[in-house]
Amino acid sequence: MPELILGSDGETHRISFEPGPSVRDVLDTTDFRVRSGCRGLGACGLCRVRVAGGESGAPTLNERIHLSPELLSQGVRLACQILPRHDLHIEILNPAPPSNWKSTPDAALLHNARDQPREGRLLPPGIKHPCGVAVDLGTTHLCLSLFDLVNGRWLADRMGHNPQANFGADVVTRLAAAVESPGAAREMSRLVVMAIGEGLLDIATREGFDLRRIVYFTLVGNTAMLALLSGRNSGLLLQPDYWIRPVDCLPLETSAWVAAWGINPVAAVEVIAPLAGFVGSDLLAGLVAMHLAEGEAPALFIDFGTNSEIALWSGEALWVTSAAGGPAFESSGISCGAPAEAGAVFRVTLGEEGDMVCRIIGDDRAKGLCGSGLVDLIARLLETGRLTRTGKFAGGEAGFTFNAGETVLTLTKGDVDLLQRAKAAVGAGIRALCDSAGVGVGQLRRVCVGGAFGRYLDVGSAQAIGLLPALPQAVVELAGNTALAGCCDVMLSSLAAQRLERLRGSARLINLASYPGFEDAFLENLYLQPMREE
Amino acid sequence: MINSEMNKLVETLLQGDHAGALAEAKRLRAAGVAPERIVTEGMEAAMSRLDDKCTVESFNLLEIMLVGRAVSAVANELYPEGMPPEQGRATFVIATLEGDVHDLGKNITRMVLIGKGYRVVDLGKDCPVENLVNAAQREQADAVLVSGLISPVIAQVRKVRPALAERGLGGIKVVAGGAALKQSSAEALNVDYVAETAFDGARYLDELMRRRHE
Repeated sequence: MPELILGSDGETHRISFEPGPSVRDVLDTTDFRVRSGCRGLGACGLCRVRVAGGESGAPTLNERIHLSPELLSQGVRLACQILPRHDLHIEILNPAPPSNWKSTPDAALLHNARDQPREGRLLPPGIKHPCGVAVDLGTTHLCLSLFDLVNGRWLADRMGHNPQANFGADVVTRLAAAVESPGAAREMSRLVVMAIGEGLLDIATREGFDLRRIVYFTLVGNTAMLALLSGRNSGLLLQPDYWIRPVDCLPLETSAWVAAWGINPVAAVEVIAPLAGFVGSDLLAGLVAMHLAEGEAPALFIDFGTNSEIALWSGEALWVTSAAGGPAFESSGISCGAPAEAGAVFRVTLGEEGDMVCRIIGDDRAKGLCGSGLVDLIARLLETGRLTRTGKFAGGEAGFTFNAGETVLTLTKGDVDLLQRAKAAVGAGIRALCDSAGVGVGQLRRVCVGGAFGRYLDVGSAQAIGLLPALPQAVVELAGNTALAGCCDVMLSSLAAQRLERLRGSARLINLASYPGFEDAFLENLYLQPMREE
Repeated sequence: MINSEMNKLVETLLQGDHAGALAEAKRLRAAGVAPERIVTEGMEAAMSRLDDKCTVESFNLLEIMLVGRAVSAVANELYPEGMPPEQGRATFVIATLEGDVHDLGKNITRMVLIGKGYRVVDLGKDCPVENLVNAAQREQADAVLVSGLISPVIAQVRKVRPALAERGLGGIKVVAGGAALKQSSAEALNVDYVAETAFDGARYLDELMRRRHE
């Protein structure tokens, strides 16, 4: 893959990219954003960079309008007008201020590959160029997608952190904080409303977009996030009785949100209700996006996370469970871990001398391993006999040290243990669903993997350690943020919304903690080996 | 120091070799070794070696579960009716309290304690406080252990000590453990000790029993 070589603060960063997007688009997925005020059309002239080496093509008409011949002769260009195909050395002349918000690397892929015209949705009269926003409110991240409602065209995506993390990384800690203190509950709701506003403002300022065009706003999320946003019934989620029962956590009043976000006052705000305490509307949306519960062939859906939500379509009925395996897939709690953002090792392959060769997201400086990098590394250690299937280092070592670029990282036995546990919870969940539905793992014809973890996952590595069923690789679909994709579907189409409601009415819930075979299935799946069929 | 005739049992237990440990325990019994010695010199020696290995950096749940299962199998072989309460062996009652159905941590603690030669009465999960107190009285328990993964169970934990005191069982120590409980202090939970891990809890109980015998 070609690389963008970036001189910044006297340091050099190397960012690999697939040819196609502009320099601005490539930078937008990293921590090195260039200032911008239009949709990358070349209209604002703000995204100035200097090309210091490599092939950048002839300046466009827009560049000749904004940049004097003298500047052009010095190599000054507009980042949105350069479509690099090979290595390119640049320097950002007009950097954007640091921000929580960036574009998701797979946004264009996710939306351009989809054919989703608006259907069955009425537009409010008198609004020129009406638009809609779909939001996936996750425990760690908040993702937004903006669409033109007239032609169903995708306009922009943003991803930022959920600021509630200050109250706890996991949902239980946040729920407990909300139950203990009404002030904390109010603050957590306010923080998310503010963050959505900031994400929208980032789109408005960087893309030159008028937020009053937004007339639809649709949001999905896990049940805890929805309860914390609406400030309703958070306490019920701490009671196991409600995990497989519906929980009312829809907002009673949203006009203050509309005002705070500056979207059109007539905008319809819709929060999609969750299925139950442990199954959010994010899962329902994911099933809609993947068309999981359709057709006669058995299909499995896994959205990996701290609580992995798993659904099985038997061909006749839909079974759903949730497996609380801890945050290893997000690489949280892993001593050499890093979130799946710029600087994360997402791919580990074997070099010619048995050394570990690392690929890093959006930078050449490794901060640590993200979930998919962790799965890869463990698979490589198993395949070279350096790790046993019980998760011990073959020579009895306490850890494995390797180079990721210029960074030295160490994977400890404890790190391997955390991944084994997370994997075992998911494996036990799959077993419980298959047992309940009377479907063998070998009968599955689709295995759909959602979430950021799935986006970068190497299927072969995941199968080698038993994280995914050992089926032909073509059966496995890595689908990225399916919750957001499904939320877009529901926002754009009343038919998709009806499909979601049908799923809600038909899903059969399994409480994994009450599944009689849990401990045996858990133990079996702690082993680092291909998944066995019972 | 491990008795040489127990070497193979200790090794097979530490490897989590279920079948091997069972075969070795049977061989020792057939050779006339008393069950009591197999517990103290075999199982306890293995547990103590495992304890040393289980620091935070090198903890491995699978390894511990496998050893735990092998230890339980040997204990079942030696005492098919359950461990006898005689011979000065301490008895503990263990449960996951009402409102919580996660009992993996409790099961591991049970296996560690059995491995250390204690008699353990397991009341399972979602157990009402009253059942726990009844069992503590009936079994003449030296301590009760309660576990919880989720925070709503905290309210139940706080009731245990008063419920024991009401029956005149105030001398029975209460130990709490599990994800939801280990973040709290013993005072906040109204218990005698909050265990960080199964081994930490077992060490506290070892120390308690040692002092009682002095």
